[in-house]
Amino acid sequence: MAEQRRFDAIELFREVLTQWEREFDALANRFMGTDEFSNVMNQVQRLQLELQRRFNQHVAEQLANFNVPSREDVIRLGETLRDVESRLGRIERLLKDMAEPAVAGSNPARPAGPPRTRQPPSRTRSANQNPAKESAP
Amino acid sequence: MSETSDDRRMAEQVRNMVQRAVQRSVKGLQFLTAGPAPVGLTPKDVVLSRGTLRLYHYRPLADEVYRVPLLMVMATTNKSFVFDLAPGQSMVEFLLKSGFDVYAIDWEPPTADERNLDLATYTQDFIPSCVDCVLERSGEPDLSIVGYCMGGVLSLIYAATHTDGPLKNLACLTTPVNWHGMELTRKWSDERYFDVDSFVDTVGIVPADFIAQGFEMLRPAQKTAGRIRVWEQMWNDEFVKSYRAFERWGNETLPLAGEYFRQTTRELLWRNGLMTGSLSVGGIPVDLSRITVPVLHAIAEHDHICPYEASKPLLERVGSTDKEEIVLKGGHVSLIAGPNAVKRMWPRLAAWLAERSV
Repeated sequence: MAEQRRFDAIELFREVLTQWEREFDALANRFMGTDEFSNVMNQVQRLQLELQRRFNQHVAEQLANFNVPSREDVIRLGETLRDVESRLGRIERLLKDMAEPAVAGSNPARPAGPPRTRQPPSRTRSANQNPAKESAP
Repeated sequence: MSETSDDRRMAEQVRNMVQRAVQRSVKGLQFLTAGPAPVGLTPKDVVLSRGTLRLYHYRPLADEVYRVPLLMVMATTNKSFVFDLAPGQSMVEFLLKSGFDVYAIDWEPPTADERNLDLATYTQDFIPSCVDCVLERSGEPDLSIVGYCMGGVLSLIYAATHTDGPLKNLACLTTPVNWHGMELTRKWSDERYFDVDSFVDTVGIVPADFIAQGFEMLRPAQKTAGRIRVWEQMWNDEFVKSYRAFERWGNETLPLAGEYFRQTTRELLWRNGLMTGSLSVGGIPVDLSRITVPVLHAIAEHDHICPYEASKPLLERVGSTDKEEIVLKGGHVSLIAGPNAVKRMWPRLAAWLAERSV
């Protein structure tokens, strides 16, 4: 029995690592789960946001001075383009529907694929176990 | 005699350790210089592409498929290739080989002009558009939806607001319903300290780093321990392959549309809207009890992102009579991908869907 429980350095290393990870996470979670941590974390974030906002404002002012569109202007342009694109898409679909009269049994949007007749294993099994019952009218 | 065999064992151990140390050096160099791990290799077609939205249709791998097509909805924070990590480690490949016609919703990083996308856009526009596309391509009147994490939340909202729609079965994987059960996340975004309006108004699009940091803070030692483990296992090609794929997935966390983030924080995290019934999207109230289709909920026993307290109430809330919860060993990600998922979750999901997909 003692012979079977041999010393394995690698296995021990893995166990220690797992244990360290578990304990570190638990400790960190206890610390980060406090009101104080949340408060400080969000204060730091607010400070970063304020700096970012001021920087954005400053850059926008400089761009305006140089008569160059700001990021906001480009985003607005992008929004307009996206709107135009989606309207065009709708018109395109409408035109396609009008141009291609429905032909029974054909749908270009529907790719050919394998038959959709598969049965779950439980039903296949019961049919195999009792073929007479399955074939009865 | 026993001394001799002990000596032999010891010599064997030392030989192994030396061999592995040599392999670690050689393969470690390869590891450091290798490009991103190849992922998402199962053949597919992009059948719908609109802004941040992508809909994939995977090419069949079975000669005969179930009648009801399957649509997978990925969480908005990550890429959907976690469903298709690598051949032999791919949930999509497993489902295709099990005879399902598989579609998946994937998300690209939203661009600055998509900052106003909200829960209504995702659940009343994106998912319904994908559903229409799936029905049109399959020629079937109904479909099954499988939603993972936040993808499960979006699927639930879709299901609760389209009760006369074509949904036949709904499977949710680690889906939070009681958002007050996610204690740490809730604590960090406590409305007394976190000004979500100021944050969203400043950033527009919530940066991917911010989201990834939030996940990492839940398990701060995980990354370091993972790196030590991969160094120790560097000789093991399968382990390294899997690690690289997961690492890439973690590194490719997605940014979020600001409005969507604001609404999720306010309505779900603060007001717990799915539990209290206070949530409405696009003016439509979201009442989970209106969901009556068969529901499966797969939960991970050691999920640190969506703990059991957060996901448990799903079955109590839905109005379905055919509903089942399975609690499996593993964590938030290992529930759906990796060697344990192959043995535990995928066969259970496939069996549940198969019975209801004819």
